[in-house]
Amino acid sequence: MGKQDIGKIVNRREVLKLAGTAAAFCASFGFLHGSQTGGVVQDKHAPVGKMELTKWTQAEIKWYSGATLLESVPVPAKVLKHLQSDPAATVEIKLFRSGQLLRNLGTIQGKH
Amino acid sequence: MVGPHEVLGMSRHLGLTTTEFLARHADNGGTTLRFGDDGRCAFVTEEGCRVHPRRPLVCRLYPLGRATDGRGGERFALFPKQDGCEADLGTGGTIARFLESQGVAPYLEWSVRYGELYRRMLGLLERLDIQGRVEAVEGPGAGEPAVEPDARRAPISPWQDIDASLAGYCDENRIAVPAVIEEAIDLHLAAMRAWLDGLEAQAGEGRDISPGKDDR
Repeated sequence: MGKQDIGKIVNRREVLKLAGTAAAFCASFGFLHGSQTGGVVQDKHAPVGKMELTKWTQAEIKWYSGATLLESVPVPAKVLKHLQSDPAATVEIKLFRSGQLLRNLGTIQGKH
Repeated sequence: MVGPHEVLGMSRHLGLTTTEFLARHADNGGTTLRFGDDGRCAFVTEEGCRVHPRRPLVCRLYPLGRATDGRGGERFALFPKQDGCEADLGTGGTIARFLESQGVAPYLEWSVRYGELYRRMLGLLERLDIQGRVEAVEGPGAGEPAVEPDARRAPISPWQDIDASLAGYCDENRIAVPAVIEEAIDLHLAAMRAWLDGLEAQAGEGRDISPGKDDR
């Protein structure tokens, strides 16, 4: 039966109960629908020590002018993979101009 | 995150009804446990977790996160250790063994069963195509906001309160309210299934869905 076949009037209270219950279950159980991103595929029988940290599945570098965001660029997957691989793994971010190092902007560690 | 069946388990462990538990210990419309002012779970004390034997699935899984693809596939991820967590994360075990040690099996099964009902609800809402079709009826409820004023604390749905919903269901069907937690959860699922059966039958016949017996 299609949408158009269903009665025009539905009691508000019952629909709210239905929608409220669906919303509650969505929040209570973490049920989502549609495609999801994030998370790391793991074999349930693989050693836990082989797992990667989820927090480095996505990261960005952002440039601001005062409070205004000028540009946001994702951190390359290769860098994220390195940070995920080991809490002690480090990455240094350095600023270059015309091939010459201007500043070392800092160090990021996998456990950050 | 906390489901109605988990609220029931913790309520029984603390000697409360689910109605009392939701009022005292739940937030976000009854979908999360209330945290203290320090941002920590209110059940975590110097002596440990006050509801540990009946702790929710999300606590049993920690430090793992779990996602499913709806076709039986599972994905697991490892969350960073929280500040103050005194547990040692070993590296020699497997996820399967960890899950077994935490007693997650019945909780995963309940998630599947409640998930089936959730999908039916979504399907019904889709079929009802409620946008522009909900009548603002006269009488009680008409013109009221869709959520309680204190939405952070009041359950979003009456079905989240298992004791209250089962009391009405059992009275109506002249059956005893189960004392055993697992049996009460089974009956809660059955009661919700019957409610959805009724809604789907009415929607399928193109009739109005009337207020009445399930408005508890």
